[in-house]
Amino acid sequence: MIRLLPASLLLFATSLAAQQNVTAFTNARILPGNGPAIENGTLVVANGKVLAVGGADVQAPDGATVVDCTGKTITPGLIDASFGGGIASDDANEQGEEVTPHLRILDALDPESQAFRRARRNGVTAVHVMPGTRNVIGGLGCVVKTHGDDPQSMVVKQDASLRIVLGSEPSSGNRAIRGGRVESIYYRRPTSRMGVIWEVRRAFFDAKEALQQTQGVPNAAPPSPGIQVLTRVLQGKLTAVTTARSEQDLRTALRIADEFGYQTVVDEAQDAYLVATELADRQVTVLLGAPSATTVAGGGMRDGAAPRSGTVRALAEKGVRFVITTGTNAAALPLVREAMFARRNGLSHRQALAAITTEPAKLLGLDDRIGSLATGKDADFVIWSHDPLDPAAVAESVHIDGKPVSRVR
Amino acid sequence: MNPTFLRFAIASAAFALSALSQDLVAIKAKTIHTLSGPAVTDGVILLQNGRIKAIGKQDEIEIPWAAKVIDKSDKVVMPTWVLAHCAGGMRGSNESMQNVPWLTVADAIDPASAYFENMLRNGVGTLHVMPGNRTLMGGTGMVVRPSGRTVADMTVAAGTGMKLSLQASRSRLQKIREMRRAIADVRDYLADYERRKAEFEQEKAAGAIPADKEWDQEIDRKKKAAVELIEKKLRGWLYVPSYAELGEALRLAQELDLTFVLGSNLDEAHALLAKIKSPVVLDATIEYLETDPETREEQQFCSAKLCQDAGVPFALSLSSGGPTSYPWWQLGTCVRHGISRSQAIAALTTVPAKMLGLDDQLGTLDEGKLGNLQILTGDPLQATTWVDMVVLEGEVVYERSKDPRLQYLFEAAEEAAAGTSKGEKQ
Repeated sequence: MIRLLPASLLLFATSLAAQQNVTAFTNARILPGNGPAIENGTLVVANGKVLAVGGADVQAPDGATVVDCTGKTITPGLIDASFGGGIASDDANEQGEEVTPHLRILDALDPESQAFRRARRNGVTAVHVMPGTRNVIGGLGCVVKTHGDDPQSMVVKQDASLRIVLGSEPSSGNRAIRGGRVESIYYRRPTSRMGVIWEVRRAFFDAKEALQQTQGVPNAAPPSPGIQVLTRVLQGKLTAVTTARSEQDLRTALRIADEFGYQTVVDEAQDAYLVATELADRQVTVLLGAPSATTVAGGGMRDGAAPRSGTVRALAEKGVRFVITTGTNAAALPLVREAMFARRNGLSHRQALAAITTEPAKLLGLDDRIGSLATGKDADFVIWSHDPLDPAAVAESVHIDGKPVSRVR
Repeated sequence: MNPTFLRFAIASAAFALSALSQDLVAIKAKTIHTLSGPAVTDGVILLQNGRIKAIGKQDEIEIPWAAKVIDKSDKVVMPTWVLAHCAGGMRGSNESMQNVPWLTVADAIDPASAYFENMLRNGVGTLHVMPGNRTLMGGTGMVVRPSGRTVADMTVAAGTGMKLSLQASRSRLQKIREMRRAIADVRDYLADYERRKAEFEQEKAAGAIPADKEWDQEIDRKKKAAVELIEKKLRGWLYVPSYAELGEALRLAQELDLTFVLGSNLDEAHALLAKIKSPVVLDATIEYLETDPETREEQQFCSAKLCQDAGVPFALSLSSGGPTSYPWWQLGTCVRHGISRSQAIAALTTVPAKMLGLDDQLGTLDEGKLGNLQILTGDPLQATTWVDMVVLEGEVVYERSKDPRLQYLFEAAEEAAAGTSKGEKQ
């Protein structure tokens, strides 16, 4: 991170201020993400990018609009790496087929969705949205900012991931066709865990075969769009995100990835503490959906998983990389409160905040743009009334690309 | 067993108990929030017979040699939380019949309920348990402590009031009509009873009844509590689900002694809130969203802040699960909406204690009051703070280090991850 600005850059900043829309946020406690907290810090923003961030070494350029942030804390905009909102509920799952790798959730995104407004109000500036969990292989996830006039202007990364779902959801409620007419969507395969895993295996087998057949063959006919997407996963060009809650499903997720030689992220991994060694060995990143749901009073269990409050600290101690998300849990709290509970449950302040800023940015391959505050990065940041992990914290103003998109008070 | 021996055994057990409670307990702490004065740093609190004997700085108070010393010199001590109204810890909190004023929660409270265990874990020391919100006249409540093997062990105060609810099952107006009908029926019964009694006295004066015969008809047992409510001898705790029922609630308050338990969704009733004369209890959902039907713009409201703005003192509640079951979350929500720390803390201590008429016993740490206190690892408003120990009436009733539920959720998971043992699944 650049904290000591070269003098030339400062001069450049000063001359720029006269012409451009430069804003300086001064006297704030800044938690930049990639470095220690800066007391009495200054954040200079211009043209939607961070111009400078630092302590006494950074001054507001002449002509800049100065916003005094005494008593406030500034953090990078939060990133929710598994965001369930932003899509009409009917649009998240294409149930015409069980394996639809080429479908893009971006096509279903509703920029006016209330979920985006709520996310913004709670300091979330970028989200990773994936197709729903009803298909075995649901399709392509995308990363978008939480504000924009249309989906295209919100896009940060179009093809960010491929969602694979294990567990009960792809098979729940399905019925095999036994005579009779096929008039209901419930006549749908697979109907069991075995069937779900077979669908995943067959899809990757087909992709592997297509890859072998076309490799080195000039003018070979391109494979189907779905196979092309799966091929990119096999080649390590696209991140696979496998939704697996229970220990059984987590082990399956790792086994299939090993079998076909691709790297996967595990999502909603409530039982991750039971496979921590395996996850650490394979350097698998874990997405923890709403870890607060493992309350002292119990609950939040699905697919036979047994979530525990100690999971976050257990993973941190084991060296497993993890990201805190809101995920598929309807009872999820605002992202920052999920991190607050993770802190309560034993993470350090730095670890808890990293799990909703720098870690998701790295996972999504976007740490050069978002997740931390440094010169040249996107000016996505939040001004908090208190420390963000304080229960009393309010995201008083939220900025995306330098523009205020939410204000409280 | 020989009954005489049994009586002796009981007597000696009682003697042993009283000797035990004579014991002095001294708790040393980094900070003592008495809530009745400034915080005491490096303080000590002395308990005798379950009551507070003295509070002061460690160098000012001499700890008697006989005292059991609990050294929490790095921790924070404050009174346990008081809930002015809750409907948990019962096997069935709502009778399926609507109008059941003769019932009492004493018959439903389950001392082994996980609800009380969880409340204790969160530092709650006193709860006013009331029937649920789904009845009309739901029965009478009682004040308990969340520790004890029997309801009798747990009892702090009984006859604390009658639960009334305006929560509609079908229509709002129907519910209001039913409530008025129920009250009118009790009034009719009482008028008839008084008339019969007056007739009896007249006949006695006229010599039709022997002069030595006294009026001996008691009030119907199923009507007794309701009659006391009508006569304002028993307080009603009226659940008001939203702003729409507040008008009727205020009308009822003109004829009955009522405390309101307010649901959320109060922003439309700002003018009416200001007319509430006595402190209210807010249900656990104090923060809620309203969507403008035209613009779809959402606005966030806090019912505690609305009450504060209207000048109505309020007590807070805790839910049985989820984030609103944590006192620090509720207090944090208040502070987030502009309520001061001390006022938020009062809403779970002094205000509810006063509403229950137990402010001479509970709510603050003062000499002579009950030794009900919690020992915290830090500031009561921070998420990182845990309840380390709870002392009720001088007796240690909860210790975090011995909490099996927390061990299951934390240590067992970490051991499983470390590979030392496989965490047992539920």
